[in-house]
Amino acid sequence: MPLVEIRNLTKQFSKGGETITPLNEVDLTIEPRDFLSLMGPSGSGKSTLLNLLTGIDRPTSGQILVHGTDITRLSRARLADWRAANIGYIFQTHNLIPVLTAYENIELPLLLLPMTAAERRKRIAIALEAVDLTDRADHYPRQLSGGQEQRVGIARAIVANPTIVVADEPTGDLDARTAGHILQLVERLNAELGMTLFVVTHDPQAASVAARRLQLDEGRLVESEAAAPVAALDAGRRRA
Amino acid sequence: MLKLRLLPWEYGVRNLFRRPARTGLTLAGLTTVVLLVFVVVAFLRGLDASLAVTGDPSTMLVYSVGAAEDIESSAVPAQLPALLSASLEGIERRYGTDYVSPELYAATRIGVDDDRPKMAVLRGVTPAAPLVRRQVQMTEGRWPQEGEVLAGRLAAAKLGCRPEALAVGNTVTLAGREFRISGRFAAGGAAYESEVWFPLADLQQGMQRQDLSLVAVGLAGEASAAEVQLFCMERVDLGIQAIEETKYYALLQSHYRPVRTLGWVVVCLVAGAGIFAGLNTMYGAVVGRGRELAALQAIGFRRRAVALSLVQEAVLLAAAASLVAALLAVALVHGAAIRFTMSAFALQVDSVTLLIGCGTGLLLGLLGAVPPAVKAMRQPVVEGLKAV
Ligand SMILES: Nc1ncnc2c1ncn2[C@@H]1O[C@H](COP(=O)(O)OP(=O)(O)OP(=O)(O)O)[C@@H](O)[C@H]1O
Ligand SMILES: [Mg+2]
Repeated sequence: MPLVEIRNLTKQFSKGGETITPLNEVDLTIEPRDFLSLMGPSGSGKSTLLNLLTGIDRPTSGQILVHGTDITRLSRARLADWRAANIGYIFQTHNLIPVLTAYENIELPLLLLPMTAAERRKRIAIALEAVDLTDRADHYPRQLSGGQEQRVGIARAIVANPTIVVADEPTGDLDARTAGHILQLVERLNAELGMTLFVVTHDPQAASVAARRLQLDEGRLVESEAAAPVAALDAGRRRA
Repeated sequence: MLKLRLLPWEYGVRNLFRRPARTGLTLAGLTTVVLLVFVVVAFLRGLDASLAVTGDPSTMLVYSVGAAEDIESSAVPAQLPALLSASLEGIERRYGTDYVSPELYAATRIGVDDDRPKMAVLRGVTPAAPLVRRQVQMTEGRWPQEGEVLAGRLAAAKLGCRPEALAVGNTVTLAGREFRISGRFAAGGAAYESEVWFPLADLQQGMQRQDLSLVAVGLAGEASAAEVQLFCMERVDLGIQAIEETKYYALLQSHYRPVRTLGWVVVCLVAGAGIFAGLNTMYGAVVGRGRELAALQAIGFRRRAVALSLVQEAVLLAAAASLVAALLAVALVHGAAIRFTMSAFALQVDSVTLLIGCGTGLLLGLLGAVPPAVKAMRQPVVEGLKAV
């Protein structure tokens, strides 16, 4: 059974009489350990798809089956519980809680799961180790650099060992060098830790590290073939 | 996972320190509000207590018809006690003593402690007084002989002097004559506690009066009250009326009703102002935090958990304010004596006062937090994540 099955997914927004359809009957299947990147022009609906996949938004029609459960039918509270168990969320701007330390920020998703304190400590230590920030555990976000903050954000997203890790332009706010480090880290999550990743990005280079490259345009989702990196670069040039 | 999993409470605590100046101001504001509530409630509790414990159902007061409930302006003939003793069957009599207490009641200035004369409430009594005024208990010294007086527990408060000034052995002066304080008494918080008791003859001489203000009569049985009433009505020539002591103080208490109403109005107004302080702070606390609150929901915290955390934050602040105010109230307000025209009573920061005050404080936090929390939770997560 595939991990995620998106069927006939449509999302429409109506703004002052005008209807926008960023997603028009989209289908997508995600298998365990898949690494997908999603590109597309600004306003094409990338974030919209990601928001539907994580259940923080609801589709106009269609189904999203995760482990066979249609999450579009869950109540808001159930969806929150479902996210806690299944989704790791990497934001564009880390969205760390400023009054909590790196350690405490990473601990947040674990507080939502039935788990002993010792188990939590162990998992946080592993997550900190994975993002190479063990020595910054007690730092507050304001005491960290942008790249370090994003690494804490990644640790928070993976600490609960979610079914799927999603990222919406995880390197969008970072300089090229730092972005490169973050991309390497994301790649390792998939390659070494076997995590299923779904990354929205503008950056063709970032997209090219993914094994499956998706392109969203005019409400349609297209999966590139082997020549994808070039196509992605082309897309980048056309935009520029 | 049916249980609502909450945010760590450190989140709430530390958020309060995010804007220390604002939090500090709100804390000070809420503390002031709660302290004011404490003062007013302590005042009302003290007032109620002083009037409630005064009065004995088996005691009747006989005083002049024209005086309404104002015994100070009453005057009855000096021979009334003897007349009542002789005419009434239902008077309590024990060991050959009639429970009939002739009393002169006056408010005037007396000299205390070489200082300027001070306004005091005086009562001229005979040894029959404690028979009828059953709450009265000697706490110190002995019953006054001629040239001596007895000071009530709160007399110093009524006079506005140091309690030591009315210590046994000291003197007070009335109409140029010195009186030695022979003892002190308490009356379980009753209104007499703020009085100074003289031997009847001494006070009559000092006030240059031969008559009495009232006669307090102890009754033997239930039916006797009617007998006293009947006697007063038949003897129109004496111009007297009779009322149960409890009724008399109930009447007095009803006179204080406007004061009580005013007190509660003050509590409500002050609390209303406090809500705005809380609201202002919590709206401010929520306004710049839209993205953070949305991110928490994206991570998997339920909307209710996030809202509860905001409320927790405000209630925490309100609890701190209540605590500070309660400590201040117990230290500074409790027992402070309030002077009234005819009596004094002590502010009571008792368990009820603490409950009302702290309850108000917590309610302020709650009411101040709920609208901003609801507002914050109305925003869809998707929009919240885009907020700057
Ligand atoms: N709440 C909304 N109400 C109306 N229209 C919306 C809403 N959210 C998104 N849209 C529209 O849907 C389209 C897709 O938006 P989305 O944010 O998914 O784009 P995107 O591909 O993520 O763009 P970007 O690369 O700039 O982040 C846009 O045209 C946007 O204007
Ligand atoms: Mg987007």
